[in-house]
Amino acid sequence: MFKTKFSKQSIAASLLLLLCAAFSSFAQNTATLSITGEVTTPLELKLADLASFKQVSHKVKDRDGKEHEFSGVALIEILEKAGVTTGSKLRGENLAKYLLISAADGYEVLYSLAEIDPDFTDQVILLATTKDGQPLANGEGPFRIITPNDKKPARWIREVRSIKVAFAKI
Amino acid sequence: MRKLLRTVLKDRSGWFKISMVCAVFICCGLIQSFQVDNQETYVLQYPANFGARFVIPADNPTTKDGVYLGRLLFYEKALSAKNNISCESCHQQKLAFTDGKAFSTGTDGSLTARNSMSLANLLWVRNFFWDGRSPGLEDQARFPLTDPHEMGQPLSESAKKINNTALYPPLFKKAFGSTVITEGQILKALSQFERTLISAGSNYDGYLAGNYKPTAQELRGLQLFESGPDPKNGVRGANCGHCHGGVKTFKELFHNNGLDSLVTDMGREQFTGQSTDRARFRVPTLRNIMLTAPYMHDGRFSTIEQVLDHYNEHIRQSPTLSSFLQDISNEIGGKNLALTRGEKADLIAFLGMLTDSSFISNPAFSNPHPVLNP
Repeated sequence: MFKTKFSKQSIAASLLLLLCAAFSSFAQNTATLSITGEVTTPLELKLADLASFKQVSHKVKDRDGKEHEFSGVALIEILEKAGVTTGSKLRGENLAKYLLISAADGYEVLYSLAEIDPDFTDQVILLATTKDGQPLANGEGPFRIITPNDKKPARWIREVRSIKVAFAKI
Repeated sequence: MRKLLRTVLKDRSGWFKISMVCAVFICCGLIQSFQVDNQETYVLQYPANFGARFVIPADNPTTKDGVYLGRLLFYEKALSAKNNISCESCHQQKLAFTDGKAFSTGTDGSLTARNSMSLANLLWVRNFFWDGRSPGLEDQARFPLTDPHEMGQPLSESAKKINNTALYPPLFKKAFGSTVITEGQILKALSQFERTLISAGSNYDGYLAGNYKPTAQELRGLQLFESGPDPKNGVRGANCGHCHGGVKTFKELFHNNGLDSLVTDMGREQFTGQSTDRARFRVPTLRNIMLTAPYMHDGRFSTIEQVLDHYNEHIRQSPTLSSFLQDISNEIGGKNLALTRGEKADLIAFLGMLTDSSFISNPAFSNPHPVLNP
């Protein structure tokens, strides 16, 4: 009796796992990332759209204290694609621009545009899509920011859903 | 007119003429200042540590007349289809503007789909309702006023009804300067009043300002509330502050807090259409939490003890369960928070510090209509 019950439970558990995996891949394929605000071309990107960009990776210690390899696209490339004032255009009033990055759960972090631009820094801020070769899990992906030089990973925002480029107005 | 002036001014001394001119100027000045008085700004007062990250729409500045009008409307039953309920019916001041019920009863006797939320510190809220579907107070007010399970009356009908009263037209004229009451003005006035519902007078605020000395138990609760568990380093915590941290005790976040494995209420997904938002709900303020039972979006927990038991030992797995509620324990390798009975009591003692008696007794928030009681 006990044995049958146990096996039923494991079947149920495997089914739930399978369901989760199916849900996860479905959710990852449909999730989008929007780039709006002070851009010439607003973007609405799906995971598949990032394949055409140059792939970059970083080996960094995450919140769990362990080293992981994150791969994805340099954030600056996405901004260039959207027509943000980067490189030689990042001067004068454009230095008062920032990015407000929002996650699916409402969490928000801010970067100044100059912090991301290769003319200003050697740090390559990553829009990561994989971790140790696997797509980012639910609750973390499909898009996550990795900023290697930030000692505290609070701005390594998970589940990125939108990036808004704006002028500081106050 | 000119003849009259000439008669008055003729053969008078220069001093008389000058004083006449002065009198006219002073009169004009007085009229001018009365007009300014009519639009007198209502100064929203809050402690500096609350911060000023809020936006008041430019077309609806908070004025004394607008706030008073909004307060009258908040307690106005004529805004419901059957003239039997007002905003207050589900948002009673003595319960920090909740109603003590799992679901509230609408004008037609039917029940709402979700639990009535406390109206404290809405000034700082940017996404209203349990699913965050509304971006501002002016927009928000439309839902309860017109939803058939709530007040159930089209705004056009509400405007018509209060246009036909003796009380309201002059007050709308004072607050908004026009003679005809519009739907938009009703929403604006209600929003102005709601922005004034600031709760910042609890013992917790006193403690932060250095004016209140917490008991040992309250301090232990505060410590647990703010700490994440770190059993390897001997740090015990309940991790509440991860989502309810900061002086306002909420962050503008939406999470699936593990109430069910199979959900019946889609939560934020209903609004965003994204499956990753399934069963995600607003992280509400914990201000006055001891007054706002029952808890959760469906009011399923009638006591605060049940809420703590849920977070401690009854988190249900599902694909969208918040990662902040997984693999977090006060025991190495533990599967749940593993707080002790005593620690739960400490947390409840701290939560009691969030009760703001000045908020629930502030006469500026009470029913301004004459109450006909024997």
